[in-house]
Amino acid sequence: MSLEGKLALVTGSGRGIGRAIALKLASQGADIIVNFFRHRDSAEQTAKDIEALGVKAEVIRANVGDPVKIDEMFDTIGNKFGRLDILISNAASGVGRPVVDIDVKAWEWTMDINARALLLCAQRAVKLMEGRGGKIVSISSLGSRFVLPNYTIVGVSKAALEALTRYLAIELAPQNICVNTVAASAVETEALKFYFKEGLVKDNRQATPAGRMVVPEDVANVVAFLCSEEAFMIRGQTIIVDGGTSAGLFTLAGKGE
Amino acid sequence: MTVEEQVRDIVAKITRVDKSIITRQSTFKEIKADSLDVVQALVAVEETFGIEIPDEEAQKFQNFGDFVSYVESRVAQEEKV
Repeated sequence: MSLEGKLALVTGSGRGIGRAIALKLASQGADIIVNFFRHRDSAEQTAKDIEALGVKAEVIRANVGDPVKIDEMFDTIGNKFGRLDILISNAASGVGRPVVDIDVKAWEWTMDINARALLLCAQRAVKLMEGRGGKIVSISSLGSRFVLPNYTIVGVSKAALEALTRYLAIELAPQNICVNTVAASAVETEALKFYFKEGLVKDNRQATPAGRMVVPEDVANVVAFLCSEEAFMIRGQTIIVDGGTSAGLFTLAGKGE
Repeated sequence: MTVEEQVRDIVAKITRVDKSIITRQSTFKEIKADSLDVVQALVAVEETFGIEIPDEEAQKFQNFGDFVSYVESRVAQEEKV
């Protein structure tokens, strides 16, 4: 699989899953636009590591929860490159609360970053993919279909993301744009430590049938495949990367030991 | 309007508390700011003053005064440049 000459935007790629995806696509020859919001140092480091692989990296700061910032980011990409081949909508945020404590602010914050950003980024990306086709891959989680403690808003936002992926896939198919999402269980990242603290995710590393936690590279490998021509006939799908957790309900309930 | 007044206005608007109760000694808990409020306040302040506040710095803020002092020092730096 080669992505030589392709240009990919990976939102939230300073750290964690986004960084692993950016490095994976770069290792296959793609130039990468590293988007970040809160951690410039991490984004600069990701860019350095991408360049060390012999491809180009561009760092752009933007809060994808803000439509104006999304527009500014795509204006920059349009002016500088005039094209885009791959959009990875990875940036995510969340507020961990029981259902009864969810307020409008927490709901909108999470939905705007996790779900609406895919819509707005895809709308702008399509224009830069015109006449050349492209790939759009977003990152979801098992919480879209299974109930996790205090995970309501994030889970609902990911369900919206998966539904949106199906609509985008069908409507953009005539433009030769493949759209899919990759849903992971708890992935071993810095963010996970935060989720443990917030009570969003339980430590289930012992209960994963594959015998270890999902790591960012596991997700990145599937994303890279979906960005390849070999995956041309996969459209509108949610591909689960969870080491088997969701296939055995007893493991999801944390009783797999 | 001073930096402190502007930051106080931003924090009061986000947390929906009366700005008169926000003093330099007020902790975020006392202002009833949860983790989302703090992030939103950081973002709003960054946009207002054209600065970036790394999370590592923000985590050191014990109270509103620490937040204001940091912003004041960064704004002063920007003005020198």
